[in-house]
Amino acid sequence: MITLRSSDGETFDLDEVVAVELQTIKNMMEDGCAESVIPVPNVEGKILAKVIEYCKKHVKSTAKAEEHALSDADLKAWDSDFIKLDQATLFDLIMAANYLDIKSLLDLLCQTVANMIKGKSPEEIRQIFNIKNDFTPEEEQEIRRENQWAFQ
Amino acid sequence: MAYSFPEEVLEHVFSFIHTDKDRNAISVVCKSWYEVERWSRRRVFVGNCYAVSPGIVIRRFPELRSVALKGKPHFADFNLVPEGWGGNVFPWIATMTRAYPMLEELRLKRMVVTDESLELISRSFKNFKVLVLFSCEGFSTDGLAAIAANCRNLRELDLRESEVDDLSGHWLTHFPDSCTSLVSLNISCLGSEVSFSALERLVGRCPNLRTLRLNRAVPLERLPNLLHRAPQLVELGTGAYTAEPRPEVFSSLEGAFANCKELKSLSGFWDVVPDYLPSIYSICSGITSLNLSYATIQSPDLVKLVTQCPNLQRLWVLDYIEDSGLEALAAHCKDLQELRVFPSEPYGAEPNVALTEQGLVSVSEGCPKLHSVLYFCRQMTNAALVSIAKNRPNMTRFRLCILEPETPDYQTMEPLDVGFGAIVEHCKELRRLSLSGLLTDRMFDYIGTHAKKLEMLSVAFAGDSDLGLHHVLSGCESLRKLEIRDCPWGDKALLANAAKLETMRSLWMSSCSVSYGACKLLGQKMPRLNVEVIDERGPPDSRPESCLVEKLYIYRSVAGPRLDMPSFVRTMDEDSELRLS
Repeated sequence: MITLRSSDGETFDLDEVVAVELQTIKNMMEDGCAESVIPVPNVEGKILAKVIEYCKKHVKSTAKAEEHALSDADLKAWDSDFIKLDQATLFDLIMAANYLDIKSLLDLLCQTVANMIKGKSPEEIRQIFNIKNDFTPEEEQEIRRENQWAFQ
Repeated sequence: MAYSFPEEVLEHVFSFIHTDKDRNAISVVCKSWYEVERWSRRRVFVGNCYAVSPGIVIRRFPELRSVALKGKPHFADFNLVPEGWGGNVFPWIATMTRAYPMLEELRLKRMVVTDESLELISRSFKNFKVLVLFSCEGFSTDGLAAIAANCRNLRELDLRESEVDDLSGHWLTHFPDSCTSLVSLNISCLGSEVSFSALERLVGRCPNLRTLRLNRAVPLERLPNLLHRAPQLVELGTGAYTAEPRPEVFSSLEGAFANCKELKSLSGFWDVVPDYLPSIYSICSGITSLNLSYATIQSPDLVKLVTQCPNLQRLWVLDYIEDSGLEALAAHCKDLQELRVFPSEPYGAEPNVALTEQGLVSVSEGCPKLHSVLYFCRQMTNAALVSIAKNRPNMTRFRLCILEPETPDYQTMEPLDVGFGAIVEHCKELRRLSLSGLLTDRMFDYIGTHAKKLEMLSVAFAGDSDLGLHHVLSGCESLRKLEIRDCPWGDKALLANAAKLETMRSLWMSSCSVSYGACKLLGQKMPRLNVEVIDERGPPDSRPESCLVEKLYIYRSVAGPRLDMPSFVRTMDEDSELRLS
């Protein structure tokens, strides 16, 4: 049993078989520096809870896990529901998945964000992500021109 | 609350974003996104090789794996672009050997490719996988031998419609025995016989081969052996489909085809003998694409074949199919999306087949998914065009080629303005249009008014005055490529719509009414356009401003005037005043 503690002090108990889905934690366990309670200072409780929920569902089959194993189609459906989140939670989850190095979760979340970007104009993208346009008008015009004239 | 992802997360997100439009959009969002995007872009499509330079491409995108380039304008297909005009790929290859040692894919269309270029490609890119040479020229089978010999991981070699100096078929033997990676091989444009045993061995050792387009010189008797070695084929182009009628050849063919349960696309069929066609019947129900544009068989045999293919989505065929055959097609092939009908005798004075506007009307009535049409014929009516337009508002590509220029509606003797007008009015998703027949300025008014999504327009022998060109340039908001020949269009419309030309990829005008003076003015007014005059009559130095240019090719470019022009091509820019006066 592994215990993780979030930045805001919440603790979560995990079977080892689930904990190894989080590559960062797995590395710590293998390096022998995993204490009884592992602090996860970058991730708050409600986000860590979601991460663990995902990992529990996706854990590779073992003798115990096979009883609860889902078919690929069921898992995909569960994933589609899982990512129905508000944007702030989605982004926090990406940061957590990146820090904890959970490849399949990171793929799922990045694909989700990519889908938010596809088909949108730069202005729309800036709005969605609340990004400031730091190009001068001339710089932006030059890039747009090169994009449209050369690469489209 | 602003969000900034670390670069590796951004890169991960961008790895799911592939289209040129989306990649271009994200590059403009902000400076950090621009940087992450340009380092992570792996493929580019350059629609006009002269719109940008190799240097600019490698500076912006340091890690490309896949490059697509287009060279000559489309009218080169009709021999309107003189030999030596340009479109040489060598400068690109030379630059990319330094910048992209890991280049995997090169797709070229209408470019001049030399053996030297092919040799350089084969030696410089260790992981080279895909070479597509579409309508290219300038190379020989020696260049192909280098590709075969040196590209260890070659997956695709596609020479479609290229003009190859075919020295011998020996080049194919240069594929080493260790080459097992081929997925697609298209040699249909080659004339010489390749070594059949080498071909059989190559096909046999490539388990992932899904596309094999043979050339005419592969005889029918050789086909079963090839098919037995590649039962997983999805796309097949046969060689000549002719032999003496012999039952054992037939059953051998029939058996070989029956074994190819994945086949979806067929082409080839040069010199086809009708008796041998039933050998493919067993797989026809799976066929979605059929290219019979070399099959000189008559309507009854065509009908028998086509009606065996209920899942047909694409059909390319000669006009031997006639109206009756198209009617049968309409009745049996309800999934048809694309139809191309080519002329068997385009230069004959009299019609040799019973193919009229009615055939196209039948197909437009019977095939609800039909959206792409290329149709050569000798007569047309406004009524037929109006029917087609109303039947198929989902049309996206409509190219009608009435063989004789300026042919009117044969029933009313009126221009075809109303008919084509109906096409642009009803088909709101129309992206490509080729016009023919007798057309007045009114037609172009309709186009300018309705064809808001039109991206490419081809016009020949049409219109009355500059007004026609003006309607098109001022009305067609999505226009990217405009190609015009033999129309009385000239200076006024061109100069009045100069700014529009910067929103388009290119404009081609030949045998029109554009003067040298106007070209110079345009070049001076619009420094970011390359206004290239093609004149094979010799240096224009002594010509008056009012003299008409033969051919004009105008395109926007971020690379300035090109430096590889032959003597008969001149750029009209600020300097031209000095050079020409």
